[in-house]
Amino acid sequence: MRTILLIALFVVSTGFGLPGADELLKRLENNYKMGNDISATVSLTQQKAGQGAKLINMLYYRRDTDNSFLIIMTGPESEKGNGYLRVGDNFWMYRRNTRTFQHVNRDENIGGSDAKGDDFETRNLTELYEGAKDSSGKEIISEEILGKIPVWKMEIKAKVKDVDYPKKIYWVQQSNGLLLKETAYSSSHTLMQTSYYLKYTQVAGKFVPVNQIFIDEFEKGNKTILEISGIVTKKLEDALFTKPYLENLSK
Amino acid sequence: MKSVILNISLRNLLRQKRRSLLLGIAIAFGAMILVLSNAFANGLSDILFNKVMKFVTGHVSVTFSEKGNMFTQVFRDGDRIMTVLKEHMPPHSAYSEAIGVFCRGIGNGKADNVILVGIDFNAQTTPEELEEAKQNFKMIGGGDFTDLKDTTIENPVLLSKEKAKYLNLKKGDLMRIRVTDINGQYQAARLNVVGIFEPANIFMSTPIFVELSRVKKILGYGPHEIAGVNITLKNPTRDAIPLADTLFNHLKPDLAVISGSVKGRGKLQIFGYRSDTTFLKRLKPLLGQLTGDTAAAFRSNGAVLSKSAATGLGISIGDTVRVSYSPKYNPSPVSVRFVVSALYSMADAALPQEALLVNESRFYDVFYMNWPAAPIAEESALLPKKGSCADSLLAPEWVLLDRCKNTDEVKKRYKEIGKLKWKAVTVDAQTMYETGSDILKLESALKLITLWAVMILFFIILIGVINTLRMTIRERTREIGTLRSIGMQKKDVRNSFILETGLLSLFASLIGTLLAFLAMHLLSLFYFDVSDNPMGILLNNGHLHFLPTAAGIVGYNLLILAIAVITAFFPARRAANLPPAAALRHYE
Repeated sequence: MRTILLIALFVVSTGFGLPGADELLKRLENNYKMGNDISATVSLTQQKAGQGAKLINMLYYRRDTDNSFLIIMTGPESEKGNGYLRVGDNFWMYRRNTRTFQHVNRDENIGGSDAKGDDFETRNLTELYEGAKDSSGKEIISEEILGKIPVWKMEIKAKVKDVDYPKKIYWVQQSNGLLLKETAYSSSHTLMQTSYYLKYTQVAGKFVPVNQIFIDEFEKGNKTILEISGIVTKKLEDALFTKPYLENLSK
Repeated sequence: MKSVILNISLRNLLRQKRRSLLLGIAIAFGAMILVLSNAFANGLSDILFNKVMKFVTGHVSVTFSEKGNMFTQVFRDGDRIMTVLKEHMPPHSAYSEAIGVFCRGIGNGKADNVILVGIDFNAQTTPEELEEAKQNFKMIGGGDFTDLKDTTIENPVLLSKEKAKYLNLKKGDLMRIRVTDINGQYQAARLNVVGIFEPANIFMSTPIFVELSRVKKILGYGPHEIAGVNITLKNPTRDAIPLADTLFNHLKPDLAVISGSVKGRGKLQIFGYRSDTTFLKRLKPLLGQLTGDTAAAFRSNGAVLSKSAATGLGISIGDTVRVSYSPKYNPSPVSVRFVVSALYSMADAALPQEALLVNESRFYDVFYMNWPAAPIAEESALLPKKGSCADSLLAPEWVLLDRCKNTDEVKKRYKEIGKLKWKAVTVDAQTMYETGSDILKLESALKLITLWAVMILFFIILIGVINTLRMTIRERTREIGTLRSIGMQKKDVRNSFILETGLLSLFASLIGTLLAFLAMHLLSLFYFDVSDNPMGILLNNGHLHFLPTAAGIVGYNLLILAIAVITAFFPARRAANLPPAAALRHYE
């Protein structure tokens, strides 16, 4: 009886059956990280409190081998033809009206949306975050039911400083390791954003969240719906990630 | 004789009262407009320079931006900057730390963009400056701007009545802000409204004011990190530019180096190499024979170790080298890791022989995260000499921006900061005369336009003066003949006419000046509520602001006098040249 009790206590104290944060983060990373080039159509619907909805459409091309991506705005009319090109460390914004390229920072807003340049970068989750621990040094992971889906709920904290949020809570589906919900906190522990990953599609053996909702918890009434469609994983031409291509396409 | 001429001139002036009066009114009006417009242009300049820019940028400012991002205003070794400042500040000058960041403010059911500004209560302020600051914060509904210092309240904030109205806030309410901190992370904070003020000018409407140390805490500044420094001077026109030049000369960076050690193996110096294409083209040949993954060595996290250091420390290509070093502001040593992608070996000593060269992107992340202590003497001896080839290819502690001459150069340079993608912090010493040279241009343009407008007005008035003099001479031709017959010299006749015009102009312009002062007083009594109107730039506390200067008044009065005398000279000379007999024969 004593042995059973000790085993039970051990199980409780070590969180038997609960995966580690690193393991879950790696699983998430493996689920999402595309080895191929990718192109897709991205649609952002922004709803701001007291204002109508704003629809932003763009074409997105990404090549991981040299950390490049190209974004071409296709809507709204005021943004149509504008673009963003990143090749290695260089990040340019192209303005159709003036036909000029301008160097911009990673935190530049894309097409007047709340999305920033670094949101389109591919950075390893495990390089950015690690599991947060409670006062007893135990990782903050628990089992929960989200809707009707069994999930792992885990708290993670930033390992580096150049991330938007230093603290996040993930709800990861137990059956397939997909992220279903995420809450992001400021360094003063204020809830800033809740994200829901509503629908995934499988492309080349990897999962792509094709329907996401980002709710601004700080400024109530603001939310952004992100939809990804037309995903193609065939190899992209080198010429695509060049200034002349963006310039010609925008004409 | 001189008194006789003066008497004749005065008598003649009073003889034609109506004519003199009308002419005097015209001259006085011109003088009034000239003095008034000059005072207005000076007032505008005074508002922009001394009531706006002085508080926004100081007379001289030292500003910083990290990684080419204008909004990341931070310098991680603030004590060093402050030491340089204190050593070179002229007497009767003061400095304060300056922070201003854009953020999202949430009030009661309303949200708006605001600028969060830190008020440095530790700044050395004179009683006059304190009074001036109070004038800028005319509180509505009681309170004082020093309420920001209240330590019993969480983040006290002052905001303008316009901002308070828009955000639906009143004194005692709570507002929230969302801001990006110096690390690029979103931060949220609660602010308590301790006062609402009437903005002194349009530029005071948007910012919200919080005590500096609280702003620094919200934005994640460490105890030795500063955002920027504003310096105010007693005589800015004389001292600002020389001070900025002096600071520029004393803020030149040294080579950035992390002098550390690999545990149990030996010492190692870490340098950043400049990663722009032009620098890499020059650097690669100097590295001699490169072995290992050369492509990886020049990526943003690339690191190249000298072959001799690798041998000495027992490190191979692909190994992770863990270097610990003493930070300047932290008693405990810190350790950093780099993956050695390649080894370099050189025939000559163009680059340090016992060193790890790291791409500046990664190097500056480490360097700024924990600013290293200065190398000891024996380590300093190993550093590349100033001006050497290595010195130009390796990363400096920061990038000191060249001094600018005017606003256009300032704008051009800020564009280049983004374009050149500096990984280092940029340091910029500038004066408000450079950043605000457009204001000086505006003031000069305003004065020039006014001068030309008034000159045209005077041209019309002077046609009247000439015409009046011609009529006077015609009327007094026989009198001139009589005066000449009884012995008055030609020049005396001429001078009497010139003096007559001169006296008229002098009295008229003096009266015009007095009228200008009266007009200034009356116009500045009006209150204009144009808080949301760009015209608010012309106002100080809702009133028109005039700043007459003694030099301006004397100068313009002399100008009017000179023009009047020159105009009168030719008809007066013609009158003086009339033969006495012919003049006496004259009859109308």
